[in-house]
Amino acid sequence: MTTLAGHANAPRGSIPARPSILQQMWTSRADYLYVLPAIVVMLIVIAYPIYYTIELSFFKTPPGLQLRDKIFVGADNYTAILSSEVFWRVTINTVIWTLASTLIAFVLGYGAALALHRDFAGRAVLRAILIIPWVISAVAASYIWKWMYHSDFGIIGQVLVQFGFTDRQPNFIDNVHTVLPSLIVVNIWREFPFAMIMIMAGLQTVPEQLLRAARVDGASTWQRFWHVTFPHLRGVSTVTILLLAVANFNSFIIPWIMTGGGPSNASHIWITHIYELAFGRQRWGVAAAYSVLLFVILMALGYFYVRALSGNEKEQGA
Amino acid sequence: MTSTSDTATPRSRKGVDGWRWTGRIFLTIMILYTALPMVWMLLTSIKSGFAAMQFPPQWWPTEPTLASYRKLLDPQNSVGQDFLRFFWNSLFVSFVTTVLAVVVAVPAAYAFSRFRFPGRKFLFFAVLLRNMFPAVIFLVPLFILMRVLGLVNTHGSLILTYLTFGLPLAIWLLKGFYDNIPIQLEQAARIDGATRFQAFLLIVTPLSVPGIIATAIYSFIGAWNEYIYAATFLTKNEQLTLPVGIQRFFSENTTDFPGLMAASFIMSVPVVVLFLVLQKYFVRALTEGAVKH
Repeated sequence: MTTLAGHANAPRGSIPARPSILQQMWTSRADYLYVLPAIVVMLIVIAYPIYYTIELSFFKTPPGLQLRDKIFVGADNYTAILSSEVFWRVTINTVIWTLASTLIAFVLGYGAALALHRDFAGRAVLRAILIIPWVISAVAASYIWKWMYHSDFGIIGQVLVQFGFTDRQPNFIDNVHTVLPSLIVVNIWREFPFAMIMIMAGLQTVPEQLLRAARVDGASTWQRFWHVTFPHLRGVSTVTILLLAVANFNSFIIPWIMTGGGPSNASHIWITHIYELAFGRQRWGVAAAYSVLLFVILMALGYFYVRALSGNEKEQGA
Repeated sequence: MTSTSDTATPRSRKGVDGWRWTGRIFLTIMILYTALPMVWMLLTSIKSGFAAMQFPPQWWPTEPTLASYRKLLDPQNSVGQDFLRFFWNSLFVSFVTTVLAVVVAVPAAYAFSRFRFPGRKFLFFAVLLRNMFPAVIFLVPLFILMRVLGLVNTHGSLILTYLTFGLPLAIWLLKGFYDNIPIQLEQAARIDGATRFQAFLLIVTPLSVPGIIATAIYSFIGAWNEYIYAATFLTKNEQLTLPVGIQRFFSENTTDFPGLMAASFIMSVPVVVLFLVLQKYFVRALTEGAVKH
């Protein structure tokens, strides 16, 4: 390959030609060794699954048959999805879940980071306590909250009854109207610490001198935040919101363990629905088509994701 | 905020106090929101099954008991045997994943930070994009792949899979870290006769230890808490990891809430301790790596 590229450049003679891409690749061949392990693992575990999913989405897999006895059905799986009522229900749930979880977790995390930024006795302890929910397993978190929401002995309902807010023990996660907000509360409980850590890290990069100068100039606390701190944190905030949004869009454990998507699909989001279609009802083709649609949405999100992350890189280079 | 202080202190002082109180109240609410569920988990775990299901509730257990913990940690009875095996499986899978993640991520992050080879940008984003795709998409094809590789029902299938979702952020964190290590250090070493690999191994790697620790914590916690792949790839009871093992066990014993809370607590202890001990590295790595530009 390289010799070919070398010959192609040779006749140009004295003109100092820009080395071809293949030459560049050859001269930096040793560099690839450093990334090779990562790339090989990625190729095995990403490229093949993506190819396989796209292929499977055009096939029908009759239940009771082996997966390899699939039947080609063209785009039928896609039209079936887009015309089904459940699809729209699940999509609305996913949008509510992703937006509410992301925004509230971000705002709470941002606030906690600001409140913890000032030095005071016991600050490290408070910070540690606030981070714990993010560290423990989502399975454990789901069980803790499921127990607190329990329809007979759940502590939250019992407190509400004891203090006279309701007559009967409310049924948080078996009720189509309250189930999604109840699960979002759990999700935020697990996620706001991530936003808090990111913003705390960002706060350390805000130059002290600027804040002091603003104070000397008579800027109020709010003005110092709005004109100095907030603009400085814009980059971190974008990255944090995107990471949260992607994670929420992809969440699975909390709805799956706590409700399994029920009652009557009220807490199904895309991922749990795909999982149930594939592993619960063996409709692999439809599940694969769902996954492809998900790819498309994620790629759109990914465009912003990469832009936000590479924004950091460009500034580094400058 | 009283009228007496209004005349005594400058106006800005009043504003500061107002915000400080807002911050305190907000922090108090957040601490309650964060800690009460964990406190309730602990309180429930030291109750008897009967005491846990009463109305009005026993706020504080009248007869605290460690029976649930004893049952889970006793190698003599079958529950304890299973639980301890799940615990060991989780520990093994998480540990191997962590070691491999560091070994793979360190050279990759270094290359992304230092070298200018064609496709470098593309490769970097390919790595980052992996973070975006949900596990469910990869489940079926990976299951088939693992069957081809002969890894179904082995812990190897989990380790290989966990590596890939831990790697993107690990590489990203470490790359930011390497970006901040002055390249002159390596150049000096090169002049003194070190090869590029020696400079990397002996000069740069020791300096990036905090980043490596952060990467390791991240991989370990991710592997320890992972549920969906473990639930799909492993079918034999003796191989299950903790999250799946607990879920299987308590879908059969649906009313043993003290036991479930005790199991949740024990499952949380290793990662919480690990994180609390090493958290300063993690926050520092985020500061130096991901955030600063």
